[in-house]
Amino acid sequence: MVLAKGSELRGVLGREALAYADALYNLARYLTGNDADAEDLVQETYALALRAAGQFASGTNLKAWLFRILRNAFISGYRRQRRNPTVGGLDTTDPHGQEAAPGEWPRDDMELNQMRSVVAGDIEKALMSLSDEARTVVLMDLEGFTDAEAAQVLDCAVGTVKSRLARARATLRLLLRDYAR
Amino acid sequence: MDCRESTSHILNYQRGRLGPKQEEDLRTHLARCSSCSRSEAVERTLNDLLERRLPQYPAPIALKLRLAAQWPSPTVVKLSWWERWGRSWAPAGAVALLVLLAIPLYYQALSFRQAGGAARMVTEAVNDHLRILQSGHPLEVESGNFHQVKPWFAGKLDFAPAVLFLGDQEFPLRGGSIGYFLDRKAAVFTYGYRLHVISLLVFRADSLPWPAGDTGESGKVRAHERTARGFNVILWRDGELGYALVSDADMPGIRRLAAKLGAAS
Repeated sequence: MVLAKGSELRGVLGREALAYADALYNLARYLTGNDADAEDLVQETYALALRAAGQFASGTNLKAWLFRILRNAFISGYRRQRRNPTVGGLDTTDPHGQEAAPGEWPRDDMELNQMRSVVAGDIEKALMSLSDEARTVVLMDLEGFTDAEAAQVLDCAVGTVKSRLARARATLRLLLRDYAR
Repeated sequence: MDCRESTSHILNYQRGRLGPKQEEDLRTHLARCSSCSRSEAVERTLNDLLERRLPQYPAPIALKLRLAAQWPSPTVVKLSWWERWGRSWAPAGAVALLVLLAIPLYYQALSFRQAGGAARMVTEAVNDHLRILQSGHPLEVESGNFHQVKPWFAGKLDFAPAVLFLGDQEFPLRGGSIGYFLDRKAAVFTYGYRLHVISLLVFRADSLPWPAGDTGESGKVRAHERTARGFNVILWRDGELGYALVSDADMPGIRRLAAKLGAAS
């Protein structure tokens, strides 16, 4: 028995790519804000990856490649026609926006303990208040992407990733302050 | 290191991504700067909230099934000469069976020599990890209690998996299962790490092509670190048992778990 020529690469790649379905879906769910759109976005991501399987360079980071495809699919297609245009109100990447200055809260141990008391629903609400880009960079950090890998996925400079992440986390802290009180 | 530098390095410090010199400089700075030390504690708390309390949305099973159907497995083609050859051996079925059993063993031995045994071990570790992730029920025994997980292996293996690390806040033990590593049974321990799953395979170490060189310290043992297909793998041997840690998590994180396991096993 032998592998049919041509399908081998796609078969092997597919088996590995499916292992990232949960991580991709989680990002898609936080970008789109609902299950139906998240499913569409992940399915679109895999369809695009399948079509581009021949371009994937063996030995490179498959997870980062898939995240990049998902992110581009979201930007180029989904975001224009998504069902809920209100998702992502506070753009922490806007240099003229109301950005949080890092370190403003919590100021002391009591406030740090208040922060620790925030519940899951409030953390999700705070994350969903961030812009798409800020939410993406926070979730990619949670997924273990390094700044350099995230920069590859987001197609920007490493310094941009670092500053976006710092601003997003500072904004999250301020949002959590309101929930903690 | 000044406060500005310290602030820009805190997250990478917490992710274990700084070099030894930078890490030492930052530690020194944090020890004497109360403001940066507070910032570090705040960031750690935010990490904890995001990693432990932010709801996670796994892909629905129906979606995974659709994706699997969309992305087909490699097509298998039967060779016509084989069918003819197989039929001609029908009267001597028993002999053919022995030959067929011998072929995979021969092929495996050949593949070790040709492709490099170490690479084969890494590939096997990654494949095992993927099988665990893709399985609908990856954990045959689910528990946060080590004293439930370890006794569960009794009678299911031909060795006692020497793993004494109970899991901790950074690496909670999620459960265990029985798997295979190449030609032998393996005890599989599953640990959590941030949003990642780390698989620990424990198996008999004899007759395996352990890699040479390129080693680092993990507790009391010498470990071999490799990266394959986006996964980080650490292999080590301690006495008669072999250990493989696999995950898509960052290498410094896996290295910390290896150190805890190496120190405790």
